[in-house]
Amino acid sequence: MNCEQIAALMPDYLENALGRDQERLVEQHIESCAECRQLAALGRNLALLPQEEPSPALRERFQGVLASFDDGRLEQLAFAPEPVRRGAWAMGWFRSPLAAVGATAALLVLGFLGGRYSTTQTNAQAQQQVASMENELTSMRQLMVLSMLQEESASERLQGVSWSTRQQQADPQILAALLRTLRYDSSVDVRLAALDALGRYGNHPQVRQGLAEALASQQSPLVQVQLIDTLVQLRDRSVVDELRKIQQNSDVDPAVRERAERAISQLS
Amino acid sequence: MNRPEPDEELMLMVREGTGEMLGVLFDRYQTRLYSFYTKLTGDRAASEDLVQDVFLRILKYRRSYRPGTPFRPWIYQIARNARHDYAVKQRPHQDLETGAEMAAAPGVSHEANHQHELLHRALGALSEEKREILLLSRFQGLRCDEMARIYGCQVGTMKVRIHRALEELREAFRRLESGSTAPSKRAAGARNEL
Repeated sequence: MNCEQIAALMPDYLENALGRDQERLVEQHIESCAECRQLAALGRNLALLPQEEPSPALRERFQGVLASFDDGRLEQLAFAPEPVRRGAWAMGWFRSPLAAVGATAALLVLGFLGGRYSTTQTNAQAQQQVASMENELTSMRQLMVLSMLQEESASERLQGVSWSTRQQQADPQILAALLRTLRYDSSVDVRLAALDALGRYGNHPQVRQGLAEALASQQSPLVQVQLIDTLVQLRDRSVVDELRKIQQNSDVDPAVRERAERAISQLS
Repeated sequence: MNRPEPDEELMLMVREGTGEMLGVLFDRYQTRLYSFYTKLTGDRAASEDLVQDVFLRILKYRRSYRPGTPFRPWIYQIARNARHDYAVKQRPHQDLETGAEMAAAPGVSHEANHQHELLHRALGALSEEKREILLLSRFQGLRCDEMARIYGCQVGTMKVRIHRALEELREAFRRLESGSTAPSKRAAGARNEL
C-alpha cells in the first residue's frame, strides 16, 4: 500500500475504528514509511494533550444563568430582543395594567386624530399632529419604564429594564434611572440586566461616566466582571486607574481581579 | 449504581424546560469545551466566556434540538458558531498567543512538556480552520461521522480534510523542530525555573 491509500485509512486508524486486517496494513506501512509514522504519532499525541480546568467562577456564573432560567426571567429578558418574538412581546406588553392604561390613551389619541383627519385637514397639519402623538407615546412609554423600575418585585423591575431597551433614542431620564438601578438595585439579576441595557447606549457620555462610577461601588463579582467587560468593549481608558485599584485589592474576588488585570492590558 | 443518563435524554429534558438537567450537561462538557477553546484561541478568559455562551445558546435554542439528534455534534456545532461570532466581534485586536501562553502542565516530565509545547506551537502555526479540525477530531475525540455532521460534508470528504490538516501539522512541527529547537528549549527551561 502506498501513502495515498494509507491517507484514506489514517483518520479511522487513529480512532481505532479499522478492522483488524486494515489495521495491520496500516501498521506494516508505517513501519517502513517515516512520513506516515510521524503523521500517526502526531495524531496520537494530539489526543494526549492535557485538558485544562476552567476556574470555579465559570460554574458559579452558569448557576446564575440557570437560576434566572428557572424563574422564567431569562426567557423574558434575553429573548425579548429577538425579532421573531415581537408578537409575543406585544402580548406581554398588553398584559400589564399599566401598559393597558397607556394603550387605551394611545387609542384615544388615535381615534381623535383619525376623526379630525377624515374631515378637513391639510397634510402638514396632519403630519404635525402625528408627530406630537408620537412624542406623547414615547413619553408614556418612558413613564411606564420609570415606574416599573420602582416596582417592588424584581421580575417587574426586570421587565422595566427590558422595555427600556425598546427605545430607539436614549432618553436621559431613562438612562439615569437605569444607572441608578445598576448601582442600587437589590437584585443582581436586575443590576445585570440594567448593565446590559446600558451597554447599548455606550457612546452616551452620561452612560460612560455612570458605568465608570458604578465600577467603584459594585460588590457582586458577577456584576463586576460584566461591568469590566462592558467598559473594555467601550474602550474606556479613563477607568484604568479604578481597575488597578480593584486588581490590587485583596478583598476582591480573584476572578474579578484577574479580569481587571486583563482589562488593563487590553485598554492600555 | 444507575447507568448515567445519555446526553440526548438530558437535552430532551432541557428542551422541555427542565433547566437543572443542563447542569449535568454543563459538568460533563465544561472542561472539554474550555480546553478546546483555550487550545483554539490561546486566551483563557475568552474561553470561559465562550463556554458560558455555549450554554446560554443551548437554553436559547433548546427547542431547535430534535429528538434523535446526536448531542455531541450538536453542542460542538454551537461551540463553533459561538467562536465564530466572537471572532467577528474581536477581530481587530485578537491574535493567537501560542507557546508562550500555554503553561506547562504539572506532573508531566520535562521532555513530554517540550513535546507538548512544540505541538502547541505547531498547532498555532496552522490556520484556525485546520487547527479546529484537528482539535475536534483528535483532541476532543469526535468520530469522523460526527465531524462530517458538524461540517456538513460527506464522511469521506471529512477524512480527507482531517488527513490534510495532519499533514500540515507535521510540516509545521518539523519546521519548529529543526528551526528553533535551541531557543524553545531555553524558553521551556526558563519557565520551569519560575
